[in-house]
Amino acid sequence: MEKAYRFCLKILVIFFLAGLAPWSAWAQSQLVGVVVDENSAPIPGVSILEKGTLSGTVTDLDGKFTLEVDAGATLVFSYIGYLTQEITVTEDRILDVQLFPAVTDLEGVVVTALGVEKNVKSLGYAVQEVDGERFKKAREPNLINSLTGQIAGLQVNNTTALFQDPQISLRGARPLIVIDGIPSTDNDYWKVNADDVESINVLKGATASALYGAIGRNGALMITTKRGGQGTQVEINSSTLFQPNYLVVPEVQTTYGNGDNGQYAYIDGSGRGTEGFGWIWGPRLNQPDPSTPSGFVEVPQYNSPRDPNTGELIPLPLISRGENNIRNFFQRGLISTNNINITSGTENGSFRISGSNVYQKGLVPNTELNNTSFSVSGGYKISDKLSTDASITYNRQYTDNFPETPYGPENYLYNLVLWTGVDVDVRDLRNYWVEGQEGFQQKHFNNTYYNNPYFQAYEYLRGYYKDNTFGQVKFDYQISPELTLTARTGLNNYALDRTDKEPKSYVKYGRVSRGNFYIYNSAQINMNTDLILNYSKRFGENWGLNANLGAANRFVRFRSESINTDGLAIPNFYNVANSEQPLSGSNSLTKEKINSAYFSADIDFMNAVFLTLTGRNDWVSTLPVANNSFFYPSVGLATTVSDFLTMPSFWDFAKVRMSWSQVADGRISSNPYSHIQAYSTGINWNGNPSLFFPGSLVNPTIRPETSDSYEIGLDNRFLGGRLGIDLTYFQIRDYNNLISVPVSLASGFSSRLENGAEFKRSGFELMFNALPIQTSELTWEVNLNFSTYKRILTESFDGTDRFGNLTVGERTDQLFSSSQFQRTPEGRLIIGNNGFPIRDPYQRSMGFSNPDFIFGVQNRVTYKGISLGFSFDGRAGGTIYSLTSEKMWWGGTHPGTVNQFRDDANEGQNTFVADGVVVTGGEVEYDDFGNILSDTRTYAENERPINYIAWNKTTLNADLTHYFDASFVKLRELSISYQLPQQLLQRTFLNTANVSLVGRNLMLWSNVENIDPDSGVDNLQTPSVRNIGFNINLGF
Amino acid sequence: MKRTSKIYFLGLFVAFLSSCESFEDLQLDPNRPVQAEPSLILTQIETNAFSSVSLGAALASRQLIYTNSLSENQYYGWQRASFNDYNQLRQVSKLAEEADRKDNGSYRALALFFEANYLVELSQFFGDIPASEAVLGGSGNFSPIYDPQERVYLSVLEKLEEANSFLGPESGEILGDIIFNGDILKWKKLINSFHLRVLMSLSIKENNVSLAVADRFDAIYSNPTSYPIMTSNQDNGALVYVDIEGNRYPTFNSNELRTAYYMEKSFIDRLKSLNDPRLFVYADKETNGRNLDDFDPTAYSGLGGADALSTNTNLLLEGVGSPIDSRYHSDPVNQPSLLMGYAELEFIIAEAAIRNWISADPRVHYENGIRASMEFNGVSPKDTEAYLSQESVQLGDSDALERLLTEKHTAFFMNTGWEPFFDQRRTGIPEFSLSEEIINPSGIPKRWMYPQSEIQLNLSNLNEALDRQFGGDDDINGVPWILKP
Repeated sequence: MEKAYRFCLKILVIFFLAGLAPWSAWAQSQLVGVVVDENSAPIPGVSILEKGTLSGTVTDLDGKFTLEVDAGATLVFSYIGYLTQEITVTEDRILDVQLFPAVTDLEGVVVTALGVEKNVKSLGYAVQEVDGERFKKAREPNLINSLTGQIAGLQVNNTTALFQDPQISLRGARPLIVIDGIPSTDNDYWKVNADDVESINVLKGATASALYGAIGRNGALMITTKRGGQGTQVEINSSTLFQPNYLVVPEVQTTYGNGDNGQYAYIDGSGRGTEGFGWIWGPRLNQPDPSTPSGFVEVPQYNSPRDPNTGELIPLPLISRGENNIRNFFQRGLISTNNINITSGTENGSFRISGSNVYQKGLVPNTELNNTSFSVSGGYKISDKLSTDASITYNRQYTDNFPETPYGPENYLYNLVLWTGVDVDVRDLRNYWVEGQEGFQQKHFNNTYYNNPYFQAYEYLRGYYKDNTFGQVKFDYQISPELTLTARTGLNNYALDRTDKEPKSYVKYGRVSRGNFYIYNSAQINMNTDLILNYSKRFGENWGLNANLGAANRFVRFRSESINTDGLAIPNFYNVANSEQPLSGSNSLTKEKINSAYFSADIDFMNAVFLTLTGRNDWVSTLPVANNSFFYPSVGLATTVSDFLTMPSFWDFAKVRMSWSQVADGRISSNPYSHIQAYSTGINWNGNPSLFFPGSLVNPTIRPETSDSYEIGLDNRFLGGRLGIDLTYFQIRDYNNLISVPVSLASGFSSRLENGAEFKRSGFELMFNALPIQTSELTWEVNLNFSTYKRILTESFDGTDRFGNLTVGERTDQLFSSSQFQRTPEGRLIIGNNGFPIRDPYQRSMGFSNPDFIFGVQNRVTYKGISLGFSFDGRAGGTIYSLTSEKMWWGGTHPGTVNQFRDDANEGQNTFVADGVVVTGGEVEYDDFGNILSDTRTYAENERPINYIAWNKTTLNADLTHYFDASFVKLRELSISYQLPQQLLQRTFLNTANVSLVGRNLMLWSNVENIDPDSGVDNLQTPSVRNIGFNINLGF
Repeated sequence: MKRTSKIYFLGLFVAFLSSCESFEDLQLDPNRPVQAEPSLILTQIETNAFSSVSLGAALASRQLIYTNSLSENQYYGWQRASFNDYNQLRQVSKLAEEADRKDNGSYRALALFFEANYLVELSQFFGDIPASEAVLGGSGNFSPIYDPQERVYLSVLEKLEEANSFLGPESGEILGDIIFNGDILKWKKLINSFHLRVLMSLSIKENNVSLAVADRFDAIYSNPTSYPIMTSNQDNGALVYVDIEGNRYPTFNSNELRTAYYMEKSFIDRLKSLNDPRLFVYADKETNGRNLDDFDPTAYSGLGGADALSTNTNLLLEGVGSPIDSRYHSDPVNQPSLLMGYAELEFIIAEAAIRNWISADPRVHYENGIRASMEFNGVSPKDTEAYLSQESVQLGDSDALERLLTEKHTAFFMNTGWEPFFDQRRTGIPEFSLSEEIINPSGIPKRWMYPQSEIQLNLSNLNEALDRQFGGDDDINGVPWILKP
C-alpha cells in the first residue's frame, strides 16, 4: 500500500512540475508542405498566413499547400480547435507541419444528451472527451477496456479471461451507453468496433444526462461513430497483438505432489484411500531410493502400465515432472484486428462504409473469439430545409468455445494449478480418453473432483453466437430560421444463441456428468424514438436562447428460452432428442415501456454566462399505474469568470460551473415486473409442477427512487492553452431508494421492497492537461486524471440507525466476512484447547472494496514523424479478497507450505504450534454486534502442537485472512509510431502511412501475490498477460 | 419534398411514440401467476418437508466422520443455525390461504400439520422461537416476538389435534400429493404418528401438568379409530426419489460422500458386535478388506468421530476405514427420505410402553421397529429373524431403554434428519464419544445460536428470549426448556 501510494504521488508530482516548466520554442522554413494533426492525419482547410502581410492560403483536402514566400518570413498556421503555430521560413523548400489540439478546446463542441451538440464553454457540468484515434493502435478486446485510466471518475476493472466483460463504474455506478444519440441498454461492450468510433464523450453526472431520464441517471458514455467527409478516402487499419508472456501467474510449490499426509498411491482415480482425497498434501517428490530401477521412490500412478501377469499397476518414479504445467498447457494468445473503410462525400451528403474483424485467440487451447462488424452511415441534405442522417451496424460475436471462469472444476486454473500436483505432467494428459472408453470416460489422475484440462478444452464446448443490429434514422426539418423539428428513431436488436456441450464423465461441482446439452436462446428488441422541436434565437447583442421541446418513447421486449437434456444416450451427440431422461426447460418474456415529455432551455448572456434548465416527465410501465408518472428538473450555470475579471497574463481562462439535477427511476430491477407480487415456479417432481411464494414482500404503493446530484467545477487554462486544470466536486443524494429492506425471517419474509434509506455519493475529479514541450519538431503532451469516490449510508429505514449490517454514517462498500477467527484486541488469534483457532460468531468488516483514489496518466512525445506514447494508471487503497491465495493454502500448493512442519506432518508428527494465545481466565462481554464491551481475559501463549496439514485444511492458514491491499500501478500502454514522410509517399498511391509498435499491460506494481488486482475480484482468475504487437494504418 | 410526404413522415413518428401496449396491459407478468392452486404449493412443501437426508446429522450422531477438514458437526464446534424453515412456513401459510379460497379442509389440515412440523424443527434447534406472531409479515408484523418453548409445543399439539380432526372422507380432494397420492387415511396416520413423536420428545417433561404427555399419548394410542397410526412401511411419510434431474437422491453423485465421508467407529463396532446385517447395506469394505468377501465383517471398520483429523486420515491412507455404502452416492434413487417412518413409530411406542405411558408389550413394538428398519434397508426376512433371535439383541428388563434407543439410532441412519441427535440429547443414549479434539469445551452442544440476522433485524425480541432462557447469553451450551426436568 505504502509503496504504491508513494509511486503514484511521485508520478503526479513529476508531471505537474513538467507541466508548469516554461519551454522555449525553436524555429525553421519554405514551400510545399503538408499539415497534419496530432495523429499525423492530414488536416484540410488550415489557414496559413504570412505574418504582417495579407498573403496566405489554405490546405487542400489532403492537407497539402503551396505558397510563394521568402526565407525569413514568419508563417502562422491556424485551425479551429488547434494551437496556432508560427514558423519562420528557412531556405528549405519543403515544410511539413504538425498541429496539436489546444489542450481543451474552448470553442469546440461536444455531443451532449440526446445528441445535441453544445459548446464546451456553455456546459454547467463536467464532460471529458476521448478521441477515437486513441483506441485504434493498441487494441484491447473491446472498447470499454480501452477507456481504462483515460477518464477522471471512470473506473474500469479489466478481467483477465477471454470474453469477460470489464466492470465499469462512473462516479460509483454503471453509466448509460449511448451510440449516436440512441441509448443502448443491453450493455454489450463488444458490439462497437473501435475503428468506427469518432469519439467517446463522457457525461459524468446526472445533470449531463438528465434528458435521458432514468436510464441516464448515472451519467453516459456517448459514442459518436464516424461519418464521411468531402472527397473519397480509403483507410486500412490492421493491428496484431501477441501475448508472449505473463504479467501475473500463480506460482505453486513443486516440492510435494498429490496425496494426503505425505502419502500417495494411485488406485482407480476415485480419489479415495491412498489417493489422498484429491489433496496436494502428498509426499516429497524426487526422493532417492536405491532399491528401485529409477533410483527414486516409486509408486503406482495414473499412467502406470499394468503388469500383464498380475494385473497390478507397475510403480513409476515419483518425481516432479509438471513444474511447467501452466506454460505447457496455456498457449500464447493473440488479438488481431483488421478494418477497411471507405468514405466519400460531396457538399450535400456523404457516406461511410466500414468492415471490421477482431479475432482473439485465448490462452486456453481451442478457445477463441470472433467479432465481425459491418456498418454503413451517411447523411444527405435532401433540400434546403430537410436533412437526414442514418447509420446501421450489423455485428456478430461468435465462438465455438470460450472458457468458463468462476472457481470450480470448470475453471482451468482449478484443474491445472490448484489441484494438480507437479508429479503429473500436463503434457501426458493430451490424449484425454481412457483407452477403450472413448466418449465415456476421460483420462485423469482423479476422476471424482477434477477434469483433465485438455479434455475440458476440446470436449466441454461453450458456444456463443450473437447477432447485433443497431442503428438510427434522423430527420431535421427547418421550419423557419429559428425553428427546427428533429425526429429520430433508433434500434438495438440482438439475438443470442448459447450452447454448452458437456461430455460424459465431465466433472462438475459435486457431481460427475452423464453428458448433457444445454441450449439458451434470448433476443431483445429495444426501440427509442424522439421528436424534438428546437427554437434558437438571439435577442439583441447579448442574449441568446436555445430551447427544445421533446417527446420520447422507449420500448423493450426481451425473451429467452432454455432447454436442457438430462443425460445423453449416445455420447458426443449433442441434440436434445438424445436426452436419456425427460428434457427440462424454461422461458420468459418481458416487455417494458417508458413515455416521456421533456424540455430544455439554454440561455446565454454576453457569451459568458450560460444557464441551462431541463425538465422531464416519465410514464413507466415498471411501477403500479397509480404511481407511474413523475417529473424531475435540472439546472446548470456556467460563467466565464475570466471575461469579467482582469486575470494575470499567464491565466488565460477561468470558468466556474455548477449544476443541480434530480432524476427519478421507476425501475426496480432488470425484471420489469418486479413490482408485482406473484408466485415463482418451483421444482417439478416427477411430472408434478409446483409453485412457491418468494421471500420478498412488495409494497403496492412504491414510488420511483430519486437521485439529487450537484456538482461544482472550475475550468482553467494557462500559458496560451498549454496547460489546463479542471477540478470538479460532486455529491449525489440517493433517496426514496427502491430497497429490499431485510426483515426477520421469522416474519415469513426475508425482505420487503420499500422506498427508503438514503445514500450519499461524493468525490473529486481532477483533469490536468499540459504541453510541456511544444516546438515544430518536438512536442510532449501530458494528460492526467485523478478521482476519488465514496458512498455512505446517511439514513436507514423506519428511523433505525442500522441498515442490514451497516450503521448510518458508514461506507457501503465494506467487505464483510462471517468466517473469521476470534482475536485478542491486539489482533492475535485465540486458540482453543484442541490447538486450533476458535471461530468468531460475529460478522467482521475486512476493508473496503472501493479504492481511495484512481488515476491515469497519458503521455505523447512527438519528434518529427515519430511519436512515442506511454500511459500509466492505477488505483490506490481498497481491499481485494483472493480466493486463489485461500485455496492454495488450503489445498497444499502454496509455496509457503514448503517447510519443516509439513515434512513433520508427512511423518505423522504434530509439530506446528499456531501463533496465538489461549484464554486462561477472565471474561469478555460483547454487545449485540460483536463489539467488545468489557474484557478481563488473561492469556497464555498457545503451546499445543498440531498437525500442520490439518491446520491448513481446517483454517485455510488462519495466519492470513486472504484479504489484500488492492492498490496497483500499471504501465498500461507503450507505443511508438512512425508517420512515413509525405515526400516518400508522393510517388505511391498512398496518402498516409503509419506504422506503430505497441504494448499494453506491460508492467504491474502491486502488493498482492498471484493475481492481477486490476480485475477487482479474484475467483481464481486466469493469468494476466502482456500484449505486444504492431499496427499498420494506410490511407489512400 | 411534397407536403403529403412530410405529413406521412410526421405521422410515422407519432405512431412510434404511441406504440405498443397500454400501461395497464404491461402490468400483467406473463411469467408468474399471482394466484395458485393449493396443489401446486403442496408439492413444493412436500419436496422440502420430506427431504431429511442430512450428512451433518450423521456426523453429529456418530454415524459418519468427515476427513476434508475439521467438521463443526463432528467435533461439536457449531455456532449459529438458520431460520430457513420460516421460508417454508411462508409456503404453508399460502397453502392455508389458498385452501380457504378453495374451501378445502384437507389442504387446511395439511397446512396445520406442516406448520407443526416446522415449528417443532425450529424449536428443537434453538429453544424459544417466534411462533404465535411468526409469518405475519404480510400484515405488517416484521419483528415477531419469541414464544416460550412450552407455548410453542402446546400450540403444536393443538394444531396436530386439529389437523387430524379436519381430515376425513368429506374434507376435500388432495391433489399434487407426491407422498400419499391424496390418500387421506395415510395422512391421518402420519399426523397422529408425528403427534406421538412430539409427545415422546417431551419425555423429560413427563410431570408437566399442562402438557400431560403420557395422557395425551395414551389417548391417541388407544383410540385407533379416531387416531389411526402407521401400521407398516407402506404408511411411511416418505419421499421417493426418481431418476430425473432435481428428483434424485440428494447425495447421488456427491464427490465428497464418495471420498471424504467414512463410517464412525462406535457405530461400525456396534453393527459388527451384534452381527447386524445392516452393516453390509450401510457401509462398504475398507481398502485393506477389498479382497475379502462382501459379507465378511472383518472387511469393515470405522474411524473415531472424536479422534484427530490427522489420525483418521492417516488410518485411511493405510487402508483402514469403511466408506459409506456406494448406493448412497451411486444409486440415483437409493431409498426414500423420511419425515417419519413406521420403524420410528414402533420404537416410540415401545419407549412409551417402557415408560408406562401406555399398556403394551415393549418387546413386540421393539421387534416391529427392527423388522421395519430391516425391510426399509432391503434386508431379507431370514437375516432379520436371525438377527432378532440373538440374545444380545433381545430387549431385557434392566437395559431396555438403552437397547431400544440404540436400535432406534441404528435405524435412523441417513433417513430422518436430526432425530437421532435430538433423541440422544433427550436420553443420553447411545453415548457419543468426546475427546480433547472436540471444539466445544463443554462437549456435545445442547442447541444452536440464533442467526446473525436476528441481531440485526429483531434484536429486542431476541434479547427478551435470551434473557428468559439463558440469562441473556446466546450459547450452544445453554439448556433449553425441553431438556429441563
